[in-house]
Amino acid sequence: MTVPDPLRRETPLYGPFGLFHDPGWGTISFTQFGSIVAASLALGSFVSLIGFLTYLSWPALTQKGVTLITTGVWYYPREKFGALAMIYGTITSASVALILAAPVGILSAIWIAEYAPRWSRLPLKGAVEFLAGVPSIVFGLMGVITLRPVMQEFSGGGDSLMTAALLLAIMILPTLTTLVEDSLQAVPGDLRTQARALGLSREEAIRKVILPGARRGIVAATLLALTRAFGETIAVYLVVGRADNRLPESLLNLQPLIESGQTLTSKLGGSEVPMAYGDPLHMGALASLGLILIVITVFTTFLGQMMMGSPEKGS
Amino acid sequence: MSDMFLRRRSIRRRAFDLLTAGVCRSGFLFSMGLIVFLIAQIIFRGGASISLEFLTSPMRDGGLSGGILYQICGTMILIATAGSVAAPLALGLALLETEYVKNMFARRTIQILIHSANAIPSILFGLFGFFALVKMAGLQKSWLAGGLVLGMMILPTTAVAVKEAIDAIPSAYREQAIALGLSKPKEIFAVVLPRSFFGLITGLLLGLSRAAGETAPVMFTACVFYGPTLPHGIRDEPILSLPYHVFNLAQDSLKPQAMQNAWGASLVLIMIVSCLSLTAWGLRRHQMTEAWR
Amino acid sequence: MGMSFEKREITTCSSKFVFVLALMAVLGLSRGGSANAGNRVRIQGSTTVNPVVVDAVEVLKASRGLDFSTDTLGGSSGGINAVAQGLVEIGMASREISERDLRKHPDVDFRVTPIAIDAVALVVSAPVWDGGVHALTRDQIRAIFEGKITNWNEVGGADLSIFVYDKEPGRGTREVFEKFAYGSDEPPIPDFAHYAQVGGNEETRSKVQDHDSAISQLSFAWTEGTDKIHALGIRLESGEIVRPDRKAILSNQYPIVRRLNLITDGPPCTNCSVLIDFMKSSEGQDIVKKHGYLPLDSADDGS
Repeated sequence: MTVPDPLRRETPLYGPFGLFHDPGWGTISFTQFGSIVAASLALGSFVSLIGFLTYLSWPALTQKGVTLITTGVWYYPREKFGALAMIYGTITSASVALILAAPVGILSAIWIAEYAPRWSRLPLKGAVEFLAGVPSIVFGLMGVITLRPVMQEFSGGGDSLMTAALLLAIMILPTLTTLVEDSLQAVPGDLRTQARALGLSREEAIRKVILPGARRGIVAATLLALTRAFGETIAVYLVVGRADNRLPESLLNLQPLIESGQTLTSKLGGSEVPMAYGDPLHMGALASLGLILIVITVFTTFLGQMMMGSPEKGS
Repeated sequence: MSDMFLRRRSIRRRAFDLLTAGVCRSGFLFSMGLIVFLIAQIIFRGGASISLEFLTSPMRDGGLSGGILYQICGTMILIATAGSVAAPLALGLALLETEYVKNMFARRTIQILIHSANAIPSILFGLFGFFALVKMAGLQKSWLAGGLVLGMMILPTTAVAVKEAIDAIPSAYREQAIALGLSKPKEIFAVVLPRSFFGLITGLLLGLSRAAGETAPVMFTACVFYGPTLPHGIRDEPILSLPYHVFNLAQDSLKPQAMQNAWGASLVLIMIVSCLSLTAWGLRRHQMTEAWR
Repeated sequence: MGMSFEKREITTCSSKFVFVLALMAVLGLSRGGSANAGNRVRIQGSTTVNPVVVDAVEVLKASRGLDFSTDTLGGSSGGINAVAQGLVEIGMASREISERDLRKHPDVDFRVTPIAIDAVALVVSAPVWDGGVHALTRDQIRAIFEGKITNWNEVGGADLSIFVYDKEPGRGTREVFEKFAYGSDEPPIPDFAHYAQVGGNEETRSKVQDHDSAISQLSFAWTEGTDKIHALGIRLESGEIVRPDRKAILSNQYPIVRRLNLITDGPPCTNCSVLIDFMKSSEGQDIVKKHGYLPLDSADDGS
């Protein structure tokens, strides 16, 4: 028998699954109605986005089936649609980007949260958040002008999966830093004072108290950054080379990294979409790339959400 | 002897402490160096082509000369539309989740849906907009299609911000509302909305700062590279926009004028984006200081 | 508290309605009707044809107040597709309508109007040219673009590793090139290292000039005026070398010649005809010449 919550009016529930409280008039109020309409539009639009992609990709899914993701050759004039090379490109460029950006980002965040003088914290955060808000096309422009010439020394073309990975790393670094710094700040201050009182040095306090306390937030931040890296289109399109069907000889062969490659997003942002419209199989194959992208990004976000836990349950 | 033992341990602890501080500081300096380098690039390369004429004249010669007046207008139109679409929908969604839906499972589902929606890559919004709005709804390439798609894209961010603002309302206010005998809608209008208004605006501005810079969603739904100035209606009215302009120019790096204009347009875009997020940030600070009163 | 409460209720209520009102005002601006109720002509397609059309459009806008919009999303194939799907009125293409297009759009009545003559050149970076590679045979070209020849010294040049910038499938330049290199056979799927894809002419030109041992396909007009990229000659079976210059192109000695076309679905609309007629007029053909392409009425002697 729970104690009645004074904030909750004891009105009967109605509606599907007992979702709604009766507002007390026997009819639905305008705001409730408005909210339901707005929410349905909002959620409905996303559901219809996914539904649309599925509907569009149906011809390809039925005709090509699982070869869409198991074969690596994509050549639309001969109706070959294998996305494996692009999946490889997406996953490797984003993973390398994360591997490069995460240590730097986490270390910087630790420095800002723990070591930086108090007065500097705000301007530093401002600078980092400013960079986190820079549009991707500007990063793409910078990649083309500044990064490509540097990468040409290494791979000859300048456009490669590695260039894309580096550019992605630069793009996700500020986001990662700012999110990790937020979760470090969220660790309650008394923990720090208690650690000091127990005689721990600053490093030990960080390593044994603060980082474990913020661990969930840090993991969530990395997953969020990874999601952004997976989904980035324009900057990657400009520097990845867009060479199809580049797969490594063996699993650990890193050669394709320094060669031009293709990712799911760079294919979708390219010229094939305007060309494919009107051809159900071609369009379907492109739409299935979108579905694969959604699966990858939503799965990663989902993981991150599970890590964060629900706010009601507490951190 | 135990004294020496303690001292050796403390030397090691000190060493680790300094080492960690050093490692963190170098990580920080590295990212700071990167940030400074990038900001300097943007300002110096872009600043060279910014002039009053650049900002107020239309483009000529396929982007190689002239200015970016209508690109700026187009971006503004897209932002305004996206904001008008996202604000009421996000508000309704947040209200539904916090005020009207009591089933915990449903609430959690909505939360997960919103966060997953945030993860969808922007190019897919462009594809969806192209098929659903441009073709099926018959809008053809139009600013409205672009605005709707951008609004949809920033909806999750805004909804999350509003929800956080609503959650932050102290229960005392709701208790007062009940004590006064207010019905649910009145409670919302009197207590919830005014208090969460700031959150809505900050979330919206942050979302809009993202929407202003997006190329992929508008590429297929609203933007062309050359021709339109201001739209006359809602159907079949493509517009120009800053990010798509930069995208086109960025591929012509042989021509220095193209690069120059690309950088100028990028700088203007960044200034617009920064204005939006600075306002959001300023509002948030204002609200925080307000709350302490 | 009572007074401000009502005011706040009104403000927040009305702010919601302001959005609705704004949308209604915007709807009120709509003229509805057919897709081209106004006099706007939408143009999309090849990056080769685009500069000419953009200049022409500026003239027509200034002199006759007509409304045009142009874009190069998707290149020639994108433009043809867009016309076929009713997204644009005029498609720009640097190739002819192919079997594939006809198969894909059986209900479309493609009307093709050529407005210029152009040629596709194989372009190389300056160091390659300086290293001694000035012409290639068809077989050599095929082998390079298939990744079978990987170093410039195999074709008489310096010791530089070949980097292939292949035009995307679907680009007009690419399809014209394929017809030359493979005839009616299907080209093989590219599958070798040291290659990347490029889209429009701007990108091709930029990337070849940035690299020091690259080759790509590019409209010959885009190779003039810069010494950072060079157009190669083609060594015919007879051993003779043909360079992509006016004379060779007009006399069809140079084998990779094409027309630049404006394409409509059915007879062009009124304002579309204005543009098309303008392009065929002497003023339009002057613009064609200004961009380095060959006008339609060029005499065989290259004048």
